[in-house]
Amino acid sequence: MNWMAKARPSNPATPAKAPASAAAAATSRATEKPGPAASMAAAGNVRISNALKEFLWLLSDVPRARILDLGPVWQSTVTFFIEKGYRVSSEDMLREWKDFLTTEEERLRTTPVGEEPERRSLPALAEKFIDNALNYPEESVHGVLIWDLLDYFDPAVVPALMNRLYNMLHPGGTVLALFHSRSAERFHRYRIMDGQTVELLPAPTLAVHTHVFQNREILDLFGKFRSSKTFVGRDQVREALFIK
Amino acid sequence: MWHKNEGKPSPEVPQPPAGGTTKSQVTPEAPAASTVAPAPVSVAPTPAPMAITPEPAAAAPPAVGGASRIQAGLKIHGEISGNSDLYIDGELQGKIRLGGARVVIGPNGKVQADIEAGGVTIDGSVQGNIKASESVRLGAGSHVQGSVLTPRIGIDDGARLRGKVEMIKAGSTASASTTATPAAQVAESAPRAIAASAKGE
Repeated sequence: MNWMAKARPSNPATPAKAPASAAAAATSRATEKPGPAASMAAAGNVRISNALKEFLWLLSDVPRARILDLGPVWQSTVTFFIEKGYRVSSEDMLREWKDFLTTEEERLRTTPVGEEPERRSLPALAEKFIDNALNYPEESVHGVLIWDLLDYFDPAVVPALMNRLYNMLHPGGTVLALFHSRSAERFHRYRIMDGQTVELLPAPTLAVHTHVFQNREILDLFGKFRSSKTFVGRDQVREALFIK
Repeated sequence: MWHKNEGKPSPEVPQPPAGGTTKSQVTPEAPAASTVAPAPVSVAPTPAPMAITPEPAAAAPPAVGGASRIQAGLKIHGEISGNSDLYIDGELQGKIRLGGARVVIGPNGKVQADIEAGGVTIDGSVQGNIKASESVRLGAGSHVQGSVLTPRIGIDDGARLRGKVEMIKAGSTASASTTATPAAQVAESAPRAIAASAKGE
């Protein structure tokens, strides 16, 4: 599929010219009660995501695309993709990583006296974790939602994660990632409300914000990918899309 | 271009008929004379009498009145089949095939099994592939590792799912995949719209 030959989606902030009838309908809608997404936008816990819109556009030509969400599972996100005919997989990577480390610590702690437990370096642990957590065939996934997890993962995990994601992605597949330009004030999880709206849900902190990625670091991280696009929001969160 | 299928189907709760058969080996948790250590599920050395008995209606949980129950503190290793509703609050390892009946995994329930039923409600832990011909609901305290194939799914906030969700046609009776990892399973059934019945949705 030629991803680049497709018509670009219009920017939600600058809608394309609409016919007169559509304009009249829009005027009519303006007087109606705002929908839930609009209400939440007013409350400040959603963000309009240009990257999400482009992510969906890139997938729109793929029949029954397989989406991998690396955040927690949400009804709204699953429903959104299923209604498009996509297949959805969910792997709450940050929580799984935390559980994995807890299990490893427990294993070391409970090793009987006299038996030397097998100790593994953090990169080795990361490899083991990724092997287990992302056990998907090569080139089987068309879209990956990383959200802002890379900011929170231990740096030892990130290279292994990126390698695995690249191998899992179908050629032309795309990754959506968010990066904080400064340390995040609190931990959020993300769920999709509609084609361009993401809700931010404050959540108990699973991990500390370990690293603020600079632009060059981000590009290096996704160095194998053939194309990238970045959107910077007013909230100092950078949205990035990468195409394999 | 992405505003397809905007209609929202209504949530559905299946009401399968009661009655059926089960076959399993059951041991009480406490006095296990010869358990298979360190496996989490103990296995009776000899076939034990049936322990999955229909409870009086008053004692049954409201969601599955009249269902067979595996109480907390029981461990079962084996296959459960039939067409009776089933409530599991203990531990089960093996296979569950209940046709169009309904399976409820309680908050203490720990299931390591592929589940094939009409409706599946999970508030505990399940490791295995789930196929429901009617609906699946993942409660807030649920932890599922495996694939979910169903025409309708409800996911409460706080549910944990490691695996994939795929839509199948309602009433589909094809066997669920028995592969352990979500990656190894690729079902090519037609997608269907699903019911959004989660809390706060």
